[in-house]
Amino acid sequence: MPEKTPPPPLSDALRAGLTVALALYLVGLALCVAGNSASGSSALVRTVKSKLFSPWMTPPWLDLGYDTRLTHGLAEDGDHRFEIRRLDDPAAPEPVILPGPAMYGERAARWRRLARATAVSERDPEREGLLPAAIGQGVFVPWHTDDVSLRVLRHLPPDRRDALDGLADVAGRDEQAYAARVRSIDGEVQLIGSTPREELAPLVKEPTR
Amino acid sequence: MKTPARVSAASSLTASIGATWTRFWFTPAGPWPLAVVRILGGLLALALWASYAGDLETWFGPFGMISPALLGAWRSPYAVSLFDLTTSSAGLLVAYGLGGLVLVAVTIGLATPVTTVLGAIAFAAILHRGPMLVGPADDVVAVILWCLAIGRSGDSLSVDRLVGGWRGRSAPRPSVRTRIALGLLQVHAAVIAGAAAIAQLKGDVWWNGTAAWWLAARAESPLVDLTGVFLQSEYFMNLVTHAIVVFEIVFAVGLWFRAARRPLALTGVVAWPLVGLVAGEPFWGLALAVLSVGCWPPDAVPGTESGATSVLFPPIG
Repeated sequence: MPEKTPPPPLSDALRAGLTVALALYLVGLALCVAGNSASGSSALVRTVKSKLFSPWMTPPWLDLGYDTRLTHGLAEDGDHRFEIRRLDDPAAPEPVILPGPAMYGERAARWRRLARATAVSERDPEREGLLPAAIGQGVFVPWHTDDVSLRVLRHLPPDRRDALDGLADVAGRDEQAYAARVRSIDGEVQLIGSTPREELAPLVKEPTR
Repeated sequence: MKTPARVSAASSLTASIGATWTRFWFTPAGPWPLAVVRILGGLLALALWASYAGDLETWFGPFGMISPALLGAWRSPYAVSLFDLTTSSAGLLVAYGLGGLVLVAVTIGLATPVTTVLGAIAFAAILHRGPMLVGPADDVVAVILWCLAIGRSGDSLSVDRLVGGWRGRSAPRPSVRTRIALGLLQVHAAVIAGAAAIAQLKGDVWWNGTAAWWLAARAESPLVDLTGVFLQSEYFMNLVTHAIVVFEIVFAVGLWFRAARRPLALTGVVAWPLVGLVAGEPFWGLALAVLSVGCWPPDAVPGTESGATSVLFPPIG
């Protein structure tokens, strides 16, 4: 059991130094929370944080917003997964699904986050195409191929009212969040995106009755 | 012109704030709560660390998906990772293995002044190596590990203490370092709970009471299937949704009231894992439960200034 005798008191200089350090950290914490919000941040907060606090709070993984929303009921809050198929071999087996059925827990959750980041980052002009190309490239060597199709599928849960009224299956349905072909030609990785089907005009008009 | 009464009130307020600050951060605290946080946080960090094992090569290997080129364009310019230095599969495995060993040492309390710092560095390194794989539990555990590195987390329930006892060293005294670490754990517990509540309340589903449905109806994340219950009872679904937000707000605010802190810390140990279970983020819930342990009032812990005992942290021997 620890001794009951109190430790020697801190010197005033040490206490003052620790107070300054703690106050600085707490200001940094507040700015990180304000500056990393999914809603965005003001130019002032962004600038002060990035100039004064990010340089020393980022390396220890403390430049965080902690804004764990869990869900907002949006499509992007659903579970995401990859479907990767090799295209250079017509006899290739079924596409690989990641996370696979043997993956569970946090390992599967990390794959779902990667798939979600792949789909969501396509809306970011600075990150567009980066992850799909990297994911495709990542399977070239282990699969001995240089041409794959990459799809990100997301699960859309049904609205509770629709499920209750029998208008939708409780199991929900899948939707394609992103699709592209990734190939390597002479060592150069090419990303050929595919346009979502609903954005294409129909080639043949359905006959009117 | 300032009257003497105003000056006196202002100086009294300043003195009161100063005294509260000093009491909160600089009152020496006993080692028990931080030692419990070390063991639980270490186990959690190990579990999260282990979740990389199966795909280490696929993600971070020389031909892996998350290549240095991708990271260069993705990460903050200030981000650094020791794993950036591993350019071969063997180097990657060695670094990963060593990091795991360090976290084992943190958990059992071996050479804690060194291993807690190394553990926090290693954990931050693997998160920076694949930021797009990181979940909310990782963020919380990173904070816990840094707090363990700041405090004297090996002063109790540790191999260090055991060895110290064999060598005839006297039991460690309450420490200001430990108090600062516990204070930081409390600050982060409140900030994380509050930030989560604010983020959630930006979405309609947390106001109209359907968020619990959207969490439960996902395909893979949920660990328990509550869709049947929520289909049967709309009120129960609403109750679960509102209860999560209310609990987060009460936790974030209540931790700062002396009378509420102990029951909230105790409630947090049970409630956060349940929230994590419903939300499909079990490790996030567990990590916040570990933070709750760190929020246990130090004056109820043996070895601190009051010397009072408690049921949760009984004295040794």
